[in-house]
Amino acid sequence: MTGQLHTRRPGRRAPLFVVIVASVGIAFFALPLVGLLQRTPWSDLWSDLSSEQAREALRLSLVCSIWATGLAVVLGVPLAWLLARVDFVGRPLVRALVLLPLVVPPVVGGVALLFAFGRSGLVGEQLYDLFGIQLTFNTSGAILAETFVAMPFLVITVEAGLRSIDTRYEDAAATLGAGRWTTFRRVTLPFLAPSLVAGAALAWARALGEFGATITFAGNIQGRTQTMPLAVYLELESNPESAIALSLVLIAVSILVLVMLRDRWFPSPAA
Amino acid sequence: MMLDAHLCIQVGALDLDVELQAGDDEVVAVLGPNGAGKTTILRILAGLLRVDAGYVRLDEVVLDDAGTGTYVVPERRPIGVVFQEYLLFPYLSARDNVAFGLRTRGVPRREARQQADLWLDRVGLAAFASAKPRSLSGGQAQRVALARALATSPRLLLLDEPLAALDAGTRAEIRRDLRHHLAEFAGIRVMVTHDPIDAATLADRLIVIEDGRVSQVGTVSEVSAHPRSGYVAELVGLNLYRGTATRGAISLPNATILETGDTQLNGDVFAAVNPRAVALYRDEPHGSPRNRWRGTVTDLDVLADRVRVRLDGAAPVVAEITAAAAHDLDVQPGAELWSVVKATDVHVYPA
Repeated sequence: MTGQLHTRRPGRRAPLFVVIVASVGIAFFALPLVGLLQRTPWSDLWSDLSSEQAREALRLSLVCSIWATGLAVVLGVPLAWLLARVDFVGRPLVRALVLLPLVVPPVVGGVALLFAFGRSGLVGEQLYDLFGIQLTFNTSGAILAETFVAMPFLVITVEAGLRSIDTRYEDAAATLGAGRWTTFRRVTLPFLAPSLVAGAALAWARALGEFGATITFAGNIQGRTQTMPLAVYLELESNPESAIALSLVLIAVSILVLVMLRDRWFPSPAA
Repeated sequence: MMLDAHLCIQVGALDLDVELQAGDDEVVAVLGPNGAGKTTILRILAGLLRVDAGYVRLDEVVLDDAGTGTYVVPERRPIGVVFQEYLLFPYLSARDNVAFGLRTRGVPRREARQQADLWLDRVGLAAFASAKPRSLSGGQAQRVALARALATSPRLLLLDEPLAALDAGTRAEIRRDLRHHLAEFAGIRVMVTHDPIDAATLADRLIVIEDGRVSQVGTVSEVSAHPRSGYVAELVGLNLYRGTATRGAISLPNATILETGDTQLNGDVFAAVNPRAVALYRDEPHGSPRNRWRGTVTDLDVLADRVRVRLDGAAPVVAEITAAAAHDLDVQPGAELWSVVKATDVHVYPA
């Protein structure tokens, strides 16, 4: 056991200055949460959440984020596979492109989406003229915007997962008569499962909280594109209790995702 | 009905050019030091690598041929592979690991599992059918891997260092079991190993590989009696020299002359000397032995009551002496000693 090497020397304490500054840091994270909780109208929480607008926002958020996660998995896994396993020209460029939505401000992402998939956008115009499909100001637009910002999380997590798989197991499957598809299904996927779950959870959490790209690209229409974050923003003026209630739901979900992924991202020091 | 292969491939620093044949009635071991190309040979036979030049034929069916471009993918070859470290799928039970190859060949799940249970019973692991690989011991994992490879009734069974992952305590027993299972299998059996004991106890015929080339082929007793390389000589514990014999005098490349009792053999020869036939002296001895030369001790190995002493000199040599003698001579690295070998203890055979 290496435990002993990590044991702290008895009586060794952090310098006072560090403790004070760190405490300020902790307070900085804790105060907003406390502020929100002390303003929460606990007794009316349920009625606040069951107002029509809140219910619509909850439902829409759930629908959009699940669709976005599904799309991210369907499009993202093959993309991650390509990035992890195929050595092609321009791979660094493709990876940079995939990571772009992580660093670009979501509002800018929304504007860019508008010029690509909007009514008069690069592809959007054809979509409308040929098939009568309009993404902007539509639930499908909200889903598209969420997928755009959420998919990078899935791709990078799954790519890392694919890279960590010992490919000799896939060789073993081949010698046992498994073709490429069977090998992927029965060997690669089971090894990949933890990364896939983690990537999907991260993407889902990101999609659920998405604001900027959604409001820019899909607009803010109750029941169609007004997801929870949009409702929170809007309600803050007219109906702050409802905004707080919705915020609490979003925080609870975030904490749930953190707990789910704790073994992956925050291994306990004893492990 | 046999395996016939000529394998040429360039992988990194390895330049492999090896001919290999194996029949139904023998277990063939490819023996060689690490990096000699053993695993590469196995991967080519399994179809996980393709030859740059040469071919692989199994029962007259071409599996790989650089000349014609023919290549059969691994999943279509009638093979079973026991991998180094076994590579059991960790998320499947022992039963489902064994059933894997049957399932990919379209056997319905129930039937595949029944057959898997039969195989597990055959290797003595019926009680572990539902166990996950992580809960199995090394020896048990090896038997599951063997059952998995055999379950599809392959024509060619390939084993990559089947005993290397086991600890010394269980190794002898597992080796005996493996020998038994190899004897029962009706197909062609090729294993690669760096362990001469595994090779000697499991195989009927050895193919010794060094630096991507075959350095010797033969039965275990042939190879160990007449080593043809320093590597093999070291494995069987003999001193080996190569030189030109002229009426009992062997001239080594560095002009040292080794005298032998065999005066009939002339030309390019190997000369083998058992370390027990080498005597060591502090001062230059004068007596009947024909061969004596000075050398510096470079290395000592203590084996129970005996000591193996390695010396540099006109002819590098390993001498095996008693611990008492080593103590009397005060043998230590750096010591200057005389090595003495009687001409009748120098065994020569054609190179």
